[in-house]
Amino acid sequence: MMKAGAQMHGQGLLARMLDAAAHKSTTGLAERTSRRGFLGRVGVLLVGTGALPLLPVARSFGGEAPTEVEAADDAPAVTALREFGDPQSCDYWRYCALGGSLCACCGGSASACPPGAEPSPITWVGTCRNPADGKQYLISYNDCCGKAFCPRCFCHRTEGAKPVYFPSKSNNVLWCFGVESNAYHCTVSAVLGEAPDEEASGDTAEATATQ
Amino acid sequence: MTALTARVLVGLFVASIGFAAGDEFGDEGLSDVARTAARFDYLLHCSGCHLPDGTGAPPEVPSLRGPMGAIVATPEGRDYIARVPEVAQAPLGDDALARVLNWVLLEFNGETLPKSFRLLDAAEVGVARVKVLADPLRAREAIVGRYADDAD
Repeated sequence: MMKAGAQMHGQGLLARMLDAAAHKSTTGLAERTSRRGFLGRVGVLLVGTGALPLLPVARSFGGEAPTEVEAADDAPAVTALREFGDPQSCDYWRYCALGGSLCACCGGSASACPPGAEPSPITWVGTCRNPADGKQYLISYNDCCGKAFCPRCFCHRTEGAKPVYFPSKSNNVLWCFGVESNAYHCTVSAVLGEAPDEEASGDTAEATATQ
Repeated sequence: MTALTARVLVGLFVASIGFAAGDEFGDEGLSDVARTAARFDYLLHCSGCHLPDGTGAPPEVPSLRGPMGAIVATPEGRDYIARVPEVAQAPLGDDALARVLNWVLLEFNGETLPKSFRLLDAAEVGVARVKVLADPLRAREAIVGRYADDAD
């Protein structure tokens, strides 16, 4: 009993001390500040927070459109390209030698980097057959760089791709060169042009190599 | 034959030589079919790094527009462009390699090509490409000096 009583007495003392401190600080606060002033400041904070995005601040890639990878100026006309398949699927015809993550699943498209990612100008080029018209097209596999890896839709197809000891035809190389950041985000497949008719049969890279 | 006729004939002969020489690397230097095929090979095997318009990404990837004309002015230079590793080891036969090199020279370097330039042929490209350069930058320096970018 004695022990419990002493404990209660101790608790009472602590409670009184806390009470006194809280009382002192709140009365001090009430003496020093006005309630209207406080409400006013809260109001400014609420309105200000809401109005902040209206300021002309450069927001990183907020309003940016996806960056289209450019084909050659004098590229053979591919404007009338007949499309086939789903660009968010590894089976899409342009991805016949794509090793990496599809930009089409990461906010970009089959030929455009997602906002905030920079297309690498240096890349590797292969050919893929478009099943819609049966023709071979030159495909540029540009990597989009400068953002963390996008793990959605990872594909690994190797038609015409070579191992890394042949770097200029390898899809295992991360092609983030000539850009600000070498961080790999995803890969696009831009159509550079149409293969000439004489080259249009079979694996064009092999056909050319054995000429 | 009068002296006048002889002079006219000589004049015509000289003019025809001039015409033929002028023709050598004009637009007629490569046939349309060869140009289309060379352009395809260029896009497939070269444009990944040198870009479709040949401007590259200096200093890592040199431009193919302009400086090559001066390089092929000497026999060493003609050899050199087929001995650069990525050229020598391109998956192309000697014919196709000579064709794409000629295309790059005519298409991107028409203004800097020497007047005496004649098209590269498959045989000389075939002989040159087996001597792959281990140090292309040093070899280039010996032929035409350093890259403009390095000199700064």
